[in-house]
Amino acid sequence: MADKNNFDFLANDFELVQSDKAIKDKKLETKPTTFFKDALKRFRKNKSSVVAAIILSILILMAIFVPIISPYDIESVKTEEKFLAPKLFDAGFGFWDGTRSYEHILYDPINEVPAVSEKYSIAALKQSLVSINVDPDITYIDSYNQYGYGGLLVLATDTKLNNKDVFLSSKTVEFTDKGAYTLDIEFDNEEDFGEGKLGEYRVYLKTGEGEDDKIMIRDFSKDYSPISFDISSAMKENRLKNVSASIVFDVKSSTSSIQYVLIKSVKLGCGERAKNADVLAEVSFDNPTEMVGITDLQSNEYWSCSGRKGLHNSEVKYCDYVLDTYMLVYGNANEIEYSASELNEWIKKGWCTYDYKVGPESFVKLSNECPIDVVRDQKVLTVTKKLSSITGSGWNYHKLGYESMPRYIMGTDASGVDVFKRAFAGLRTSLILGVIVFAVCFVIGLIWGSISGYFGGNIDLFMERITDIIYGVPWIVVITLCILHLGNSFFTFCFALCLTDWIGTASLTRHQFYRFKGREYVLASRTLGASDGRLIFKHILPNSMGTIITSSVLMIPGVIMSEATLAYLNLGLKGVHSFGVLMSNNQQYMGIYSNLVLFPATIMGLMVIMFNLFGNGLRDAMNPTLKGSE
Amino acid sequence: MVKYVIQRVTLAFFTTFIILSLTFILIKLLPFERPIGDDRQQTTYFDRQYNLGYVYRFDVPTDKYGELLYKSPANKGKTSYYYMVPVMTQYVNWLKNIVTEWDWGDSKTYQPNVKASVIIMKRIGYSIRLNIIALIISVPLGVMLGIFAALKKNTPIDHVISTIVMVFISIPHFVLIIFLLQFLAYGLGWFPSTWPTDTAPISERIRGYIIPIFTLAFGPICSYCRNTRAELCDVLESDYLLLARTKGLTRRQAINRHALKNAMVPIFPGIVGSFVGILGGSIVLEQLYGIPGIGKLFVLAMNYKDYDILFVDMAIFTTISLLTGVVVDMSYGFIDPRIRMGAKK
Repeated sequence: MADKNNFDFLANDFELVQSDKAIKDKKLETKPTTFFKDALKRFRKNKSSVVAAIILSILILMAIFVPIISPYDIESVKTEEKFLAPKLFDAGFGFWDGTRSYEHILYDPINEVPAVSEKYSIAALKQSLVSINVDPDITYIDSYNQYGYGGLLVLATDTKLNNKDVFLSSKTVEFTDKGAYTLDIEFDNEEDFGEGKLGEYRVYLKTGEGEDDKIMIRDFSKDYSPISFDISSAMKENRLKNVSASIVFDVKSSTSSIQYVLIKSVKLGCGERAKNADVLAEVSFDNPTEMVGITDLQSNEYWSCSGRKGLHNSEVKYCDYVLDTYMLVYGNANEIEYSASELNEWIKKGWCTYDYKVGPESFVKLSNECPIDVVRDQKVLTVTKKLSSITGSGWNYHKLGYESMPRYIMGTDASGVDVFKRAFAGLRTSLILGVIVFAVCFVIGLIWGSISGYFGGNIDLFMERITDIIYGVPWIVVITLCILHLGNSFFTFCFALCLTDWIGTASLTRHQFYRFKGREYVLASRTLGASDGRLIFKHILPNSMGTIITSSVLMIPGVIMSEATLAYLNLGLKGVHSFGVLMSNNQQYMGIYSNLVLFPATIMGLMVIMFNLFGNGLRDAMNPTLKGSE
Repeated sequence: MVKYVIQRVTLAFFTTFIILSLTFILIKLLPFERPIGDDRQQTTYFDRQYNLGYVYRFDVPTDKYGELLYKSPANKGKTSYYYMVPVMTQYVNWLKNIVTEWDWGDSKTYQPNVKASVIIMKRIGYSIRLNIIALIISVPLGVMLGIFAALKKNTPIDHVISTIVMVFISIPHFVLIIFLLQFLAYGLGWFPSTWPTDTAPISERIRGYIIPIFTLAFGPICSYCRNTRAELCDVLESDYLLLARTKGLTRRQAINRHALKNAMVPIFPGIVGSFVGILGGSIVLEQLYGIPGIGKLFVLAMNYKDYDILFVDMAIFTTISLLTGVVVDMSYGFIDPRIRMGAKK
């Protein structure tokens, strides 16, 4: 037995386990993968996130390129072009074609167009009508209306005004002794109105201001039979030659309840020699083409009334129609007459060709400088057989400075600006804001969180109190204060949003540091003498970077939302195109022109949803702990 | 535990104090806005500000305190001149006013010479009422949907619920209001498109609540649903539930007695927090729907440049958000015996 403390090993004491020269183990065939490749692979498996990424990139590309490519001017105000309907297809397609349909609108039977109070001309309305559907039912209305037909003139005492007596007086008409004037009045007694007639009702011709300056026509307190009155003979009886008189209905009520007089028609007839025959004709009101007398009932121009006056049972029709808003604004309704010399000038300059012997259809436009597009009519002198003038009309869009009929996918807003371009220009601003805020907050948050998380202890406690305080202030308060102090600008928004948004990144980074700083690999590196900086930047950060970035990216939709929210609080971003300002400005038109708000709201909703879907997918993909769990 | 609560409350109080102080100083640093109204009203305003310690009053003009703010008309042969007090002195006076008299100042331009607390109290009722109703609806609905989705995990129903939840959690408040207004108010005409006035008939007023409540409830419903689903899914896969099943409980028994109770633990503090949050109201909703709550007041005060009212409104929002944080944190500690926050390891 050898000495316990003395070991002697000889080379041949040992025996090799494996003496082959080549190692027979198979080399790994699979390719090594990196962290990001692996994440990408897992991200692709998540179908909804991939779709979200595609939609999101389309939206971002549109935000970048639409404001560059779109030819429309979004800076100036064009009131003429306001509130155009969204148009993607040609008019008549059925939807999204620049038309707007209206239901139950009064029908104008004379011009055969809907009776709209807007400033558009009848011709423009006619050419823009895609379809019109007149309701065959006649509606009876009790208010006056210029498109109404027939009905009864109502003259009533007004209890509100507390006047029991009422008179209705027509405009003064001049009667000469040369005319043969007659006055026909028909009352209506069939309609049951109130409690019957109580009091004195009279109709007379008022020839002057005095009490006696009147020619009595009829006391109709009890007698409602038609009146046929010969003014001329009455004038002779009263020895009047030329007189200015008005027709007056006078009601002296004996009760406090409302008294009505219903008048079917008032017709002033006259002989041929009367010089103001046309004025007299207007007094009739059973013909819609001669309605002036009734139309102006409310305006006091023709009939003045000390009580209430109105129409009863006037017949109107309603219609449903579809209007091409683009044709209305950009169409060629304005016909202008040009002289033959002007036309010759154009032909000489080579702008167009025209042969008046053939007629309007021979007009060929050669240059865009030519002010007209279509010749509607021509006038030829009867004697010389030479062209005197033509009536032509040009597309209104030429006048407004467009090459062709504009097509606004989302319509135009109150200032006549393309909503589509404005929305994406605003979205671009929001995205730039989002990216800047993200970049700044990411850097600040990363540094703050690293220091706080890595060192821990009192440093952490102190830094956490500061973040606590900043986190405690609602972001609206921070931004409001910033805007009040620094003024409303892009920079203020960046600054204010950065002020609050870095907290999220900082606390996330801090959590990650707490998670990793105790790991063995950090300890190993520290044992080998690595400095704090090396540990932070070389070891811990790269491991937590994926999670931090992906979570922080979700700050961008948050910033976009914040910007829009502020606009709704009248704190909208000024000086640049802003998505929020666009939406909040259009909010007031929501009931009528819903497209102005719905389109931007859809873009905003889509953007935010897709961002979240994409971000969540990315976060899951970047999280190595989830690997293989699906 | 008591020590933790005291510590937490003190800290929150301290944080609130610092934030409100900073806000007050920042607001007071803004350029001075003239009050509106006739001379009498203005004199009343400035005298009151003098009593509160925010302006100086002299009988003769002086150039010691910067620009002259206001010169009152001669009253019994006496004219008063008002000057701005330095901001830090105002701050000290403000603290004194709050501590001794709970006086938050007056409105200047929005409702001249009305106490800020009066204006707030008049409006806070609307905000609270709406939020309470929304909360009462959203908590049970959200939790039930969450439980339902968790029990039907990975079935089409679950996917539908999850998708809807994802959509409604993402979209901003105002987009939701816009779509609700478009379809329910303008399209179908079921509900009014703005908040009915207090003189409107009762049926109209009740219908006026629907859209705001929908808007307020959608978000919470979705977040309760998502949280409940996530928690319950976790619990359903845990070992103790497997044990419960193996010892012979039916699935229903296991879920009712074990899973639900445990899943609710992390959800509950959020619900408690929401009850504090009801005081806050939603600024955008109130602005868009014209609800006369304290959120709308924020916008009004901004428009009128009535910064004292703005400050009080901001103070409410800040206090509520901090209070919510404290309540949530503490209820975690009370509810979940496993969590003893702040306890020594």
